[in-house]
This record gives sequence, structure tokens and C-alpha cells, in this order.
Amino acid sequence: MQTTLKATIASLATAVVLASPASADLTGNLRINLDTSNPAPRATMEAMISRFQALNPELNITTNVIDREAYKTQIRNFLSADAPDVLTWYAANRMTPYVDAGLFEDVSDLWAEPAIAASLASTKGALTLNGKQWGVPYTYYQIGVYYRKDIYDELGLSEPKDFSEMLANCEAMLASGRKCYTIGTKWLWTAAAWFDYISMRTHGYDYQMSFARGDVKWTDPSVYETFENWGKLVRMGAFVDDHQNKDWQQSLPFVVNGEAGGILLGNFTVAPLRTAGLTDDQLDFHQFPAIKPGIAMAEAAPTDTFHIAANGQNKDNARAFLRYLVSPAEQTIINNGDNLGQIPINSASGVSDDKFVQQGFEMLSSNSPGGVAQFFDRDFPAEMAKAAMEGMQEFMLFPDNLDDILERIESVRQDLYQE
Amino acid sequence: MFPKPIEKSSRAWQLSYQALLPLAMLLWLAPLLAVALFSIRPDADFITGNYWGWPSSFEMIKNYSMVFTSAMPRYILNSFLITIPTVIGALTLSCMTGFALGIYKFRGNLLIFFMFIAGNFVPFQILMVPVRDLTLDMGLYNTKTGLVLFHIAFQTGFCTLFMRNFIKALPFELIEAARVEGIAEWRIFWYVVLPLMKPAIAALSVLIFTFIWNDYFWAIVLTQGENSQPVTAGITSFNAQYRAMYHLMSAGSIIAALPPVLMFFLMQKHFIAGLTLGAVK
Repeated sequence: MQTTLKATIASLATAVVLASPASADLTGNLRINLDTSNPAPRATMEAMISRFQALNPELNITTNVIDREAYKTQIRNFLSADAPDVLTWYAANRMTPYVDAGLFEDVSDLWAEPAIAASLASTKGALTLNGKQWGVPYTYYQIGVYYRKDIYDELGLSEPKDFSEMLANCEAMLASGRKCYTIGTKWLWTAAAWFDYISMRTHGYDYQMSFARGDVKWTDPSVYETFENWGKLVRMGAFVDDHQNKDWQQSLPFVVNGEAGGILLGNFTVAPLRTAGLTDDQLDFHQFPAIKPGIAMAEAAPTDTFHIAANGQNKDNARAFLRYLVSPAEQTIINNGDNLGQIPINSASGVSDDKFVQQGFEMLSSNSPGGVAQFFDRDFPAEMAKAAMEGMQEFMLFPDNLDDILERIESVRQDLYQE
Repeated sequence: MFPKPIEKSSRAWQLSYQALLPLAMLLWLAPLLAVALFSIRPDADFITGNYWGWPSSFEMIKNYSMVFTSAMPRYILNSFLITIPTVIGALTLSCMTGFALGIYKFRGNLLIFFMFIAGNFVPFQILMVPVRDLTLDMGLYNTKTGLVLFHIAFQTGFCTLFMRNFIKALPFELIEAARVEGIAEWRIFWYVVLPLMKPAIAALSVLIFTFIWNDYFWAIVLTQGENSQPVTAGITSFNAQYRAMYHLMSAGSIIAALPPVLMFFLMQKHFIAGLTLGAVK
């Protein structure tokens, strides 16, 4: 209770501080490009914009919602040709091409403001490139193991505390005629979740980040160690068959029908599993267990962001909008269960009472001392990630090809990072 | 050359043919049937892995009303606003160019005609960057006008080929007779040639309508967002942030496919004529 009260007071205080520049009635134009194209996030964003509009009735806001996939191909185009003032994107390495091309505005000044510096500290690293900040986050979500609690209970299993328990659980699961984990690697990135976690649990967050920067050879013994751990699961047949032909949605029936014990994925997995009829009593969440003692737990939590276009016309209005959307009050609203249903990035915000969001918030705020990564394909450069993820998929099918696979990935790394 | 009519073959062969035909058709139509079936399924059927079985509930009204309350009507309207002006523009221009190239004998006639045809040999993907820069410089980027103008420019070459060949096949005596009567050239075009071109116009308009309606490439290169994008590019707007809404996309696809399908059934005769137009001289 104490902390809730504190948080409320803090949020009120910051809201007042933040509201004052906004209530100065901005004038002129503000053009916003959004990739939140599906109905629920779209309504959330539009409601947020209309609240901002109500504070600034004189401001002429134009919003352009673009389909999320199309957005990824169009962003470079509109940033250079027909730049909006504010736009959505993703944190970490995904920003690199636009930062390098001078298309994103440096917003380090915003991060220097006390209200933002204090309450957004947890995601600052994800928005920092070359020592500067290039945008603000607006939501993130946790990744972890979503598992069938009813099946675990039936077999007398509990949430694994370390890797050996994870393997023992898996043995029991296999003995009962089920698979341990479902996965659909058709679009590759789901395999990267396993790699990310096994690598971070085997070598730690700092190692993974220097790996992402290209400082570790893919043929290094440390990488072999990671794959060896992963191979234990692969060789015992922990994963469902034919996963290379399924996307992640197509891999869900195994969990729904009780043919697989769980899935390692982001919190967005919960909604379709609930739609399919699983109750909160049947479905539960646990953090990916520790593998090597002494390695600090680190998590991957993909962060979605807002940026200012360097070629935009109304940068003061854009800054005011960014300040507004990270404010504790707005963060509480847009991330609540009726809206995005994810974790707010402002530490002074209230958290949705959804079981999984609560568990994620707790995990990210108190049990991830090592650091918070984005996700393999957001931390590693696109080309590197693609080659590596293809290799991971192959490894999950033919673990004996490991030497070959790693040499192939390594040659890509050498091409990519050699100056 | 032609296959032997089935009536002339043995009874056994006829029977097996009659049995295999529906099977082959079912196989052929399976993807389409799946889309139709998915459009009336609830979201949960996909997640529980019920792809081909009986729908767990029928959500036809819910899915289709979702389609109509989303941005889909807007995208469909855009498609019409892009397709119809393109059809009119391309046909108007190609009737005139076809007339000029088919009737008048002047130096360079063949050269100009070849230039129209040459446009069809350029793989349009290589035009992506220059066309995008061009529309940007003209201030037409992300507008329906820009897309319409480009489609007209690109389709006119193809239409001119057909129109010119069609006009060339008309009896030249008709035009000579009119000239003897002292009729102005533009009146010859309007009162003599144009009425005779009606079948070609009908056939081409059906063809161009389906071409442009189904265009996806230029829609995503030259436009963005629901203010200007046609339905082919807009259909994926049903996809959620993290997952694909197959039931809604199926319903949306069926709605989006209706105009060209209707067009085809209403003008089937012309459509088939259009496919062979220019092929036989």
C-alpha cells in the first residue's frame, strides 16, 4: 500500500510538472505517423492523441496510421521524403539505420529533464546509441515461459529454479507422452528467443551485448557452450516436430490441446491462448531459469518507441507530445488492461491488474539485475540476425551440423564487422 | 491437336473422368474454400488448430461486420477511386493513339508504335526508384492522383498495342468513304471508328479494371496509409500487432475480391474476347 501511495503522489507531482508546458496551448501543426494499425492499439493511440488535443485545442494534429508490416518498408521513404513530426518505431539496434542516416532527431535534452531521467531510467540503455538518446519508449513486454500449470500439477512438477530442474521437468513431460515446449520456427525469430535466453543465462548480459556489437566470434568456445546447453533440450526431443513449417500462431494448438507443456515467447502469447479457452488457472508464467550460478539474471523485453523525425517541421510540438506520452498518468492509461495490456515504461505508473502483466512487471523491475536486452533481432544488426537465426533453425533440426552452421554465421560476422 | 471429346471415349474412361473431375476441382479450389471457411470461423479455431474441421461456431455476421466497421470500406473506396479513373484515362488515350497509329501513314509511325510496345518489355520493378522520385518531385507522392497518373502512363502502352491492331483490322474503305464525303478527321474518329471499337473498349476495360484492382506493388511503393492506399495494400491492416487475424483477413479478402469477380461474371464474354484480342489477327 505504502508504495502504491508513494507512486500515486509521485505520479501526481510529475503530472503537474509535465502538464504545465503542455497547458501552454501549443499552436501550429503536429504530424504523427503510427504503426499501431490493429484495432486495439490503434484506438489506444487515437485516444491518447485526442487527450493531447484537448489540452492543446489550438494545435492542428494530423495522424497517419500505417499497417505495421508496410510501415517497416515505408519508414525510410517517408522519413526522407515526407517527414512527419513524430513517429513510432523500435528501440536498440533497430534505430541504427535511421540514426546513422541522420533521420532521427537527437532527444538527449528530453532525457536530461529530471522528470524523464528519473522515471524512465530502466529503458534508457535501449534508446541510447553513440552516447545520445534518439527517442522515448512507450510500452514494453516481458518474454518468458508460458506453461500449462494444470499439466505441471498433474505430473507433480513445479516451476524450474535452474536448468537441471528444467531438464528434469522435461524428462517427466516426455515420459507422459507430451512434448516439453512448442515452437514454430517458420519465421526464424522464435528460435532466437531460446538462443537469447540460453546465451544470457550461460554468459550474462554484458557478454550478450558485446556479442551483439560483433566482438565475439561465432566459432568461439563460449558460443559452443551456449549451443551445447541448447542441444541438451534439442537432443532429448523437447520441442515439437516439424516446427520449421509452422509460424508461432500455428504452434499454439499444441499448448491448447495439452500436447506440449509450454512455450517461450512474449506476453502477446497470452491473448490468443485465452481466446482458445485456456483459463488463468490453467496457464501460468515463469522466468527462464538460471543456467550457470553466479550469472546475474537478465531479461529481454522488446520496447516500442516514439521518435522525432530530423526532417520534421514542428520539433517543439513534437517534444511536448513526447513529454506527454511518457508521463506517469498517460503511461498508466495506455498500458492498462483495456488498452495495450503491457508494462508501462514510467516507474511511477500504475500497473494493470492482469496476472501476467503483474508477473512481468515484477520480474523486470526486481529480478533482472543483469540488465534488460531488447530481443536478438533487435540487438543484433539485421543482416547478422538473419544469418544467425537461419543457423539456429537448422541447429534445432540437425544439431550435429553445429560446426558447419557456426562457421557459416562467423563468415557473415566477418564480412559485416570488418571495417 | 484438340483433345478427343469425352463422349467418344469408352464408358469406363467416361466414368473415371466423371469421378476424377470433381476431385480435381475440389483440390484446385481447396485454398479458396479454406479462405471462405475461415471467414466464418471464430478466432479461436485457428489457435486450437481446427483448420479443416467443422467450425466451432459460426461467426459470419460478426466477422463480416468487423470488416465493414474497420478501415476496409475506406480502402475499397480508394480502390474504386484509383481503378475507375485509370480505366477511363488509359482507354481514352489509347483509343486516340490507336487511331493515329492505325489510320495515318507517316514517317516514324512504326517507330512510335514500337516505343509503346517497348514499354511493356520493361520489368516494372526496375522503375520503382525513379517513379517514386518522380512522384515525389511532382508533389504527388502518397496521393491517389499520383497512382492514377502512373497507372495510366504504364497501361496506355499495352492498350495502344491492342487498339492499334484492332483499328488496323477495320476495313479501311469505311474511312476512305467518309473522307470522300468530306467529313472532318475528328468526326471520322468519333462517328465512324469509335462505335466500331466498342467490343475492344469493353474487353480492355474489363482487363484493365482487374489489372489495376489487383495491383499491389505500386500501391505500396507510391502510397501509404488509409487516405490513399487501395484495398490490396490495406487488407493486412487487420493483422494485430503481434499476430495475424486470419478470420478477418479471410472475410476482408472475400469482400475485396468481389468487384473484379462481379465484373468478370457480368462481362465474361468481353473478358474472354479481351484475352484473345490482338492474338488473332
